[in-house]
Amino acid sequence: MKSAKWENIFKGWDNSESEAVHTLKKIPVFKNLSHKDFNELENMMHHRDYKVGDFIFKNRAPGEGMYIIMRGSIKITIGTRSGNENTLAELDKGEFFGELALFDDEPRSANAIAIEDCKLLGFFTQDLMILQERNPVLGHKIMFNLGGLLGERLRRTNHMLIKEQSK
Amino acid sequence: MINQQINYIQQIYRIILTLIAIWFLNLIWPFISDVILMLVFAFLFTTLLLSSVDTFERKIGNRGLSVLGVVIILLTSISTFIGSFISQISIQAQEFSERVDQATMMSEFKSLGDKITSAMPSFMKSEESSSDYLANKLTEVTQSVLGSLGSLVSIVGNFMFIAVMVFIFTIILLSEYHKFKKALVNSIPNKFFEVGLKLIYNIEKSVSSYLRGQFLSAASVGGMSIAGLLLLNFFGANITLVIFIGIIAGLANLIPLVGPFVGMIPALLIAFMNNLGNDAATSHMFLGTIPSPFFCIDIIFMFLIVQQIEGNLITPALVGKSVGLHPMLVMIVLLIGGTLLGPLGMLFAVPATGVIKVIIKEIAFVRKNAHLL
Repeated sequence: MKSAKWENIFKGWDNSESEAVHTLKKIPVFKNLSHKDFNELENMMHHRDYKVGDFIFKNRAPGEGMYIIMRGSIKITIGTRSGNENTLAELDKGEFFGELALFDDEPRSANAIAIEDCKLLGFFTQDLMILQERNPVLGHKIMFNLGGLLGERLRRTNHMLIKEQSK
Repeated sequence: MINQQINYIQQIYRIILTLIAIWFLNLIWPFISDVILMLVFAFLFTTLLLSSVDTFERKIGNRGLSVLGVVIILLTSISTFIGSFISQISIQAQEFSERVDQATMMSEFKSLGDKITSAMPSFMKSEESSSDYLANKLTEVTQSVLGSLGSLVSIVGNFMFIAVMVFIFTIILLSEYHKFKKALVNSIPNKFFEVGLKLIYNIEKSVSSYLRGQFLSAASVGGMSIAGLLLLNFFGANITLVIFIGIIAGLANLIPLVGPFVGMIPALLIAFMNNLGNDAATSHMFLGTIPSPFFCIDIIFMFLIVQQIEGNLITPALVGKSVGLHPMLVMIVLLIGGTLLGPLGMLFAVPATGVIKVIIKEIAFVRKNAHLL
């Protein structure tokens, strides 16, 4: 039987990571970060719960940042529910969406709707700005990763465009 | 038609609720005003100290210890300043009382009155000798100022209580700031989450940039006042405690409009105390033309220059942009703040209006985009 006294003494030695850190480690935006960085990020993240059918955000709504799916799944759609809804993607645990809003003031370009009860982590422009002030090294790492991710997408789009044009 | 009626009823219902809320707030205001004031002060101090505590925490990895470290540094600086200021001022007061008794003061004022009267153009001189009248008046004023110092004790007692409570609130807020903020953010409904987060961030940004701007502007006034007083000393003004006067002028400058004038009072008092009995200082002429006993016109002129530089160059660059209020609005809110809460009201009027402006702007934004949320 474990003694509560010993558990208390070795409380700080528990290196098992939280569910949030476990999820964050899978996200390319947060690659190459240290254990300490993940702990700092975890403190900054906003935990949000959504029920099936809840809008996470609506098309053309002002966007402030990205969401990471910790539990459940969501769909990205355009159009309205009353007929012409078109599902662009379905995202599951460990995936992320809305990251473009971290950089621009443009409104959201699609709807994000929970297709089952889900738990999301929110990371917003304000958090990134605070991080840049409080821990510039970590802020730069994330910006670099975001830049790399967007560059990779642009390269892929260019590749597809060239492929289409050469057809 | 029915919908329109329901809308009217809703509007009336809202107005009645608002009136009841205002009435209730007015009823409980005397009981909660002090606590709210303490919390506002604590919040402002927290905003000022937060970045230092956060930096410390990142270095040593313990929030409690970093709050303790910052608080100890702050308390040591404040107590060193107050302690040395009190000891210096008491030495000064002791020297003054040893040097000047009431009779000497009376005769000094009499000779000062004569000098001022003789320097006046002839059409301004009255038939009666004004020197006696002036001397009596000045002595009366000086005596009443010294007498009212006694009532300061009760004010100091009340101030100490408020200061201790603000200190405790500040420590709690500094230790738990991020948890409080997170709890506040978590309480926002999903629908308004992103907008609410933006609102909190903008309020924080507005308050902290205002405070930082005010702090830098106060530091610049302090620095310029010290330089100005040293320059006056070079011309024989004989003003001591220059650094303290500069710091007080800088701190007083935090209260808009009135502060700068409050800031020059210690300089005038010390110039008067140091130069009483000094003929050269009593008969000093500003720019060789205007009588300036005890260099008082020189001191006022120097502070006016400092205020002009601060008001036209430094504050617009540091503070003006952070709050972005029209000067007319600043004056109106200062008057309202002053009427409601006195000097403290004046101190908080501008940042509070800045915060209200941010809130109104965000509410307007939410109303405009309500159908998208």
